[in-house]
Amino acid sequence: MKKAISLKVNGLERSAEVEPRLTLLDLVREQFGLTGAKLGCDIQVCGACTLLLDGKPVSACSFLAVDADGCEVLTVEGLSANGKLHPLQDAFMEFGALQCGYCTSGFILSAKALLDECVQPSEQQIRDYLAGNFCRCGCYQEIVQAIKNVAGKS
Amino acid sequence: MKNFDYLEPTTVAEACSLLQRHAGEAKVFAGGTHVTILMKQGLFEPKALVNIKNIQDLKGVRYDSAEGLIIGALTTHRELETSALVKEKFPILCEAEREVANIRVRNMGTVGGNLASGEPLTDLSQIFIALDGEARIVGPNGARTIAVEELFRDFYTTSLAEDEIITHVVAPPCRPRSGIEYMRFSSSSVVDKPSVGVAVRLTLEERKDSIENARIVLGCVGPTPVRARKAEEALTGKNVSAELAAEAGKIAAQECKPTDDLRGSEQYKRAIVGTLVKRAALKAYERVLGNG
Repeated sequence: MKKAISLKVNGLERSAEVEPRLTLLDLVREQFGLTGAKLGCDIQVCGACTLLLDGKPVSACSFLAVDADGCEVLTVEGLSANGKLHPLQDAFMEFGALQCGYCTSGFILSAKALLDECVQPSEQQIRDYLAGNFCRCGCYQEIVQAIKNVAGKS
Repeated sequence: MKNFDYLEPTTVAEACSLLQRHAGEAKVFAGGTHVTILMKQGLFEPKALVNIKNIQDLKGVRYDSAEGLIIGALTTHRELETSALVKEKFPILCEAEREVANIRVRNMGTVGGNLASGEPLTDLSQIFIALDGEARIVGPNGARTIAVEELFRDFYTTSLAEDEIITHVVAPPCRPRSGIEYMRFSSSSVVDKPSVGVAVRLTLEERKDSIENARIVLGCVGPTPVRARKAEEALTGKNVSAELAAEAGKIAAQECKPTDDLRGSEQYKRAIVGTLVKRAALKAYERVLGNG
């Protein structure tokens, strides 16, 4: 039986009729066309599907869309405003913090959640917080540098 | 994932009656970190999920000087990790939580779900057992309280009935002259499930430095977390020394049933158990003395 849900996605009120088995990742990718978050491991390990739910990182691959009813979801598409990239997005480009880009939206959203929680995290705090986001191209040094750079500016 | 009904009770009684009505074909759903994976893999195909997240009674952490730390089953790992109250009363829980899975799982996964899953590769259960923790359980026929140790029966199997829910996990007040340490070892990345996780609590005699009471709890090295009772006995009545701690480690290494897997061979895990028990016992002792 389908359920009606309404939620805020990147600041916009959205509603949908969903089967309880639909994941939040499939909802945003297939029904809302927001494809920044990717399906990776499908078991909450890799972080490619990271979205912010009420400001907190979650694995959208294993989160039921019905469970997001009434919540606020932020995807990577919601980060830029008025044609201007988010400072984290700029920094990821400046420091070359990506190669293939598959993990990038997850890293940037996790980093945003960290900086919202803690304005000036130490390098160790950055590494601990992002330990659950995997970059198989191995851009970890550059990712940490990019985040440190943004943290230093705010 | 096969389809299912999604039910949202607002009281424990309502949740239990929904579970009872579905007679084993419904699963309790909270953080979903465990259940959704098993459903996607086809290992669970419940007709209904009973989402208990709207039940207010299951939320929050409070401290009662007689009963101890009372943790609502819906408390997330992250809430436990960052709670000022928990940090004040049982800092070991905050420290251990920092290493549980990753930030996303900690944001969603709950303490009650962690225990109720019967997951053998765990951190929290060893600590709760070492603290003589209790699980408060409610079912259609009323409430009962059991030692956390009594919850685990086999791989992913607990003593919970199909229509019962863990409502709270309670850590009784710390006994004087006690110290606890938890140590985990991961063989691949830091966010991997532990290959071995060991909790040791020592309580010293009131006027002597000998050990009155010890808890050594081994996790991930068998179908359920287990107490290494022979190793506990070896410590009881003695004064702590590096030799004694090593001896307890050696005994504990023989009191578990690790299996060969990607996280280490049986022999390797036994060696890690021995080392972690030794180190954790010495650290727990330091903490009794107030140096930890």
